Amino acid sequence: MERNEVLARVQDIFRDVLDDDEIVLSDATTADDIDEWDSLSHIQLIVAIEKAFKVKFTSKEILSWKNIGELIDCLMTRTA
Amino acid sequence: MVVNSYQFWIFFAAVLLPYYTVLRRNSKGQNIWLLVTSYFFYGYANWKSLPLLIAVTIIFYLLGIGIEKQNERNTGKARLLMISGLVLGIGVLFYFKYLGVLIPGATPLLNVIGISFFTFKLLGYVVDTYLGKMSAVRNIIDFGAYVAFFPTILSGPIDRPGEFIPQLERNRNADWDGIAEGFRRVVWGLFLKLCIADRIKAYPDAVFGNVGYHNTTSIILAAILYAIEMYADFAGYSEMAIGVGRIMGFKVRENFLRPFFAQNVSEYWRRWHMSLTSWITDYVYMPLNVAFRGWGKWGLYLATSINVILIGIWHGAQWGYLLFGIWHSLFLILAAALEKNRKTFEKKHKLKGKWYYKTPRRVVTFIIVACGLVIFRTESLSDLTAIVSQCGKGFGPIFTNGLLEIGTLGLFSILLLFFKEMKDENGWSIHFLHSQKTWLRLASMAILFAYVIFAGELKGSSFIYFQF
Repeated sequence: MERNEVLARVQDIFRDVLDDDEIVLSDATTADDIDEWDSLSHIQLIVAIEKAFKVKFTSKEILSWKNIGELIDCLMTRTA
Repeated sequence: MVVNSYQFWIFFAAVLLPYYTVLRRNSKGQNIWLLVTSYFFYGYANWKSLPLLIAVTIIFYLLGIGIEKQNERNTGKARLLMISGLVLGIGVLFYFKYLGVLIPGATPLLNVIGISFFTFKLLGYVVDTYLGKMSAVRNIIDFGAYVAFFPTILSGPIDRPGEFIPQLERNRNADWDGIAEGFRRVVWGLFLKLCIADRIKAYPDAVFGNVGYHNTTSIILAAILYAIEMYADFAGYSEMAIGVGRIMGFKVRENFLRPFFAQNVSEYWRRWHMSLTSWITDYVYMPLNVAFRGWGKWGLYLATSINVILIGIWHGAQWGYLLFGIWHSLFLILAAALEKNRKTFEKKHKLKGKWYYKTPRRVVTFIIVACGLVIFRTESLSDLTAIVSQCGKGFGPIFTNGLLEIGTLGLFSILLLFFKEMKDENGWSIHFLHSQKTWLRLASMAILFAYVIFAGELKGSSFIYFQF
């Protein structure tokens, strides 16, 4: 899967979980940019992404992401 | 040497003089001076604790470099080093703070002040380095100055290495706007401490000190005043620490954001002792949540409970602190469980931002928080049952003895605080201390300072949070 396809799928998951169709993700997006993205929904997002891509992240991976770009990079290595 | 004492200001003037004259173009010199004066300040409070502070600083400095090297080699030893750092930091904290609880009758070799604050700085550092959120600090002077930074070593706010250490690498020239802002915050902190906390404390002390003689009316008033006292005491201290840091050219983490305007308990925790709660959120709550993510809602509830109970017992090994954590965890779980329904309800009835929706929620949150602080204050279960059973005896005439001491000045000071917080919360554009007009800014500052001298309790008492 291409990187921008992964980003688009992750964006759909965000829109679905956070119930907001106007969310647009880029590599630089962080939780500060999206109101509904708090520590509670963060976990729901990760669970939804793991389910959709059929992957299981390690705790270290999840805790070290600084923005969407790093999440996508991690997903790319897992789905390659 | 408390910030509201004359000795502190003599010490601080002696620190600033070389800091902003001979050292002003030399950040390395400034940092060495900062480290030396911080160790002096810490040693002055208790010189016996100083070798421990220096030893853990050196060990964690080396651990940081080791973790980074092992992370680069990807050997898995980085994790081992990080865990040994955690074990060491938590072990030191436990030995000096909780030994008496684990082994009844045992006392640690010495009483280490500020331990709950500096160990958290060190623990956060090894985790951040392990996760690659920051590079290991190579300069041991900078690292030592971060850990021992004298404005915050005794009682916080708990700064994060990733935010604070880059500030040490920059030169701090005398920036007059920053210095003026620092002084404004110090004077506001003095106002909170001397005109509110120290002035009203006599009443809750009198009522809770002899609860068997008081009725529900007096207990309710004492609980309200105690909540205000705790806030004014700790926020007052934090304002002064942040202000002193600002005068030296540093941006220290904020600790309070008008907590009594919170509309639920979860929001309250994002506004009260923020440097501690955000630390626990990042280093305990999130890792637990991530680990428990397969358990759905129950994982969330479990992580929430552990999180807030830890915040409680972080204050010390006392029943009151544990029950305080449990009390808050009940409301946090309730808030999390009902969050979706609440949001749907708000959307449906267009309630968000409406004053008639916000006000009752704020009042209910304040009641929960004030009850929590009464629990926090009790030293044993029997203290708490005494308060509850006394409340069962009903209302009656109010106890007025301590009220005379609080008097008009105390009440006026609380109203002044309330007005400022209303103004800041609602973004009203009336400015005094931050006015664009220089004369108004200076006049407000002078009037506030004069008021502190006139209306403050100038006995130089200590701060509640120094014991933690």
